[in-house]
Amino acid sequence: MLTQLILALVTFQQHSPTYKKTKRFFYHLLEDPDSRLKSRFDKVMIVSVLFSVFLLIDEVDTPASSFERMFEHVLIALFIFEYLLRAWLYNDIHHIILTHHAKALYLNHPMQWGKVAKIIITQKVAHILTPLAIIDLLAILPSFRSLTLFRALLIFRLFKLFRYFKSLRLFAEVLESKRFELYTLAVFLSFLIFIGSIGIYLFEHAANGQQVRNLFDAVYWSIVTVTSVGYGDIAPQTTGGRLVAIGLILTGFGVLSFLISIIVSAVNDKMHSLRENSIYAELKHYKSFVIICGFGRVGQHIAKQLEKHNQHFIIIDNNKINAINARRLGYLVIHADASKNDVLINAGIKQKASAVLCTTGDDVVNVYITLTSRYLNSSIRIISRANNPQNVKKLYQAGADNVIQPFEIAALVVAQYIGKPVAFEAILGVIREEKQFIMETLPVCAGSMIDGITIAELDFDGRKLMLIGVVSANPTHRKHKNSYALKNQHFYFNPPPFFVLRTGDLLVVLGREIGIAYFREQLKNSRPKESKR
Amino acid sequence: MKRIAVFGYSIMSLEVIKQLNEEHYSYVFIVKNEAEALLVAEQGFDTKIIDFRNDEAIKSVGIGENIDILFCFYPKDSDNVFLTISARALDNELTIIAIVDDPESAEKLLAAGANKIIDPYEICGRKTHDMLAKPDITDVLDNTVFGRHDLHIAQIEIPTNSSLEQTKTSALLLAGTYNLILIGVVDKVSGDNLHFVMDEKEHTLNIGDVLVVLGPARDIKAFKEEIEAVTAA
Repeated sequence: MLTQLILALVTFQQHSPTYKKTKRFFYHLLEDPDSRLKSRFDKVMIVSVLFSVFLLIDEVDTPASSFERMFEHVLIALFIFEYLLRAWLYNDIHHIILTHHAKALYLNHPMQWGKVAKIIITQKVAHILTPLAIIDLLAILPSFRSLTLFRALLIFRLFKLFRYFKSLRLFAEVLESKRFELYTLAVFLSFLIFIGSIGIYLFEHAANGQQVRNLFDAVYWSIVTVTSVGYGDIAPQTTGGRLVAIGLILTGFGVLSFLISIIVSAVNDKMHSLRENSIYAELKHYKSFVIICGFGRVGQHIAKQLEKHNQHFIIIDNNKINAINARRLGYLVIHADASKNDVLINAGIKQKASAVLCTTGDDVVNVYITLTSRYLNSSIRIISRANNPQNVKKLYQAGADNVIQPFEIAALVVAQYIGKPVAFEAILGVIREEKQFIMETLPVCAGSMIDGITIAELDFDGRKLMLIGVVSANPTHRKHKNSYALKNQHFYFNPPPFFVLRTGDLLVVLGREIGIAYFREQLKNSRPKESKR
Repeated sequence: MKRIAVFGYSIMSLEVIKQLNEEHYSYVFIVKNEAEALLVAEQGFDTKIIDFRNDEAIKSVGIGENIDILFCFYPKDSDNVFLTISARALDNELTIIAIVDDPESAEKLLAAGANKIIDPYEICGRKTHDMLAKPDITDVLDNTVFGRHDLHIAQIEIPTNSSLEQTKTSALLLAGTYNLILIGVVDKVSGDNLHFVMDEKEHTLNIGDVLVVLGPARDIKAFKEEIEAVTAA
């Protein structure tokens, strides 16, 4: 009966969307390092912990007010709730039970509840024994004022800040990564202090009994000396004692240097991944961004343009010098191989990245990055650079939407410039929004004020706009002349006054930015509410 | 027909020639050695092997005489600067177009007398950004004005005794009559700046003003011919 009840309960948990949603919410609140909710929660907890510590210190001299007591109770309740939630989030009990149940059914064996309970308890205990969980527990204890010993545990409430300060946590991780070196150093240091203490006790206790009264004084002196603190309250009087002091001071320098070098090298080792993690975290805050693979000459110019237009981007370059240059310019850079799946995935190719630009100077690399990007995201826009015209087709085959050839484009500019420099500069200026006038596309949305009306009815002159043409895939327009085939659609240049606009058409207009923006707003407001959404 | 001297054999120089209409231009390729001369000659171009450091050699190509446009397409910026200075000293009216490798050399080339500086990487970077920022517009223009289709942007100068003199831009009605879109006018008096026709101020055309129009090649040609015919009449 109990078995059936437990199984029904865990099956409900397994399939209940509310249960999953609740657990996901608390995961985002407490554990998800990329969650904004967690970031806000951490800030609240930092302030609360500091305030509570301040109140507890204040209580040493003055009796606690009712507000202080109430605040302490609320905070402790919050700590206990948080502690239990973290224990709950640590693993899925229902998952363990269901897995074992399925296994038992398959093998036609009875369910071994004892074994399942052992696994569950072992996992929960493993969580309870983690350093941060212990700190969480100890942070709750100082509230039991009746026990004086527990008040000393107040310090653990400050340790709890490790949970909420990312940089403190990272520093702990750095030290953790050098555990072996630190352990070796600690053993050596203990040995040194032991020898120093025994030596100073043997030499000084008899001749200088007032200062070195017992072994504790000797240990105290050794630690003060080896760390180069040297208070001077205990000073060796005998030659033997002074020799021990010289030995301890000299080896102390070595130990300190070793300790510093361990920490510096650990921070240095970790710095690369720390920097990358901070970049990934920053990317997650953007609505969309562009991935630039390769920070050579072309990549630099693209970055400059994107920066000028306040668009977010991330640079991936395997070349150290390029990566340093990009970093110096203040750009977000990942020094890695962009053709690796995990590099592009971490950079957000499957999430918020809107386009990938393959701009390295090597066509082989560009083909590979293009292929990788297309494999990872079938809908992302990919623009690739081809240095050799023979590779253009290969880049398209690899999945590029557009292929650019620096010399072909430059040649086009030269060819256009000759004979019509003003006209060409003007059209370039218009495209790049360097002139007062810009060229924009405006969509004809279903039900909007321009859907189904003729060009003549639109009165472009009155709006101080110029209609260059209409881009459309609608077959009803085919009868019109001046039709130029584009990919899957046609461009109708200088459409006649009787040209009827249809849903999905794109108007290509030239005009002042303010005029185009006003017309766009009018079009948006004229759309039915549902399509606006 | 305009004559172009191309200094420097590279992908860039061949691409430019591919883009230009061969009916309107003739070329002379200046190369460094016999091997390059053979490669260029195979493609049907006149070639000359000269030392560009020598003014007499440059003159022998036709600079200062029958060359209208000079392409300085050497890979080294210093070579292009030297060639530009030498050519400008020989011909003040020559149109000099130079490519630049290091962006810092652009100003030096302009100071040396080049009319237009081409930085392929900068152009490529801008183009990529245009593709990202305005995919629809770049797609239309790449496939029409800059692409394989017969849609062009052109400059048409108002000739002497033209019937268009003193005509207001709003009265031209090029879209309906000639299937051309008038983008703007370069007022001869006020310099090389283009005045867009949608601007508040209505412009009255004068001799020497330049109309910047967009349209199919045949319609541009027809309009040009009509202006010239009216003028001749």
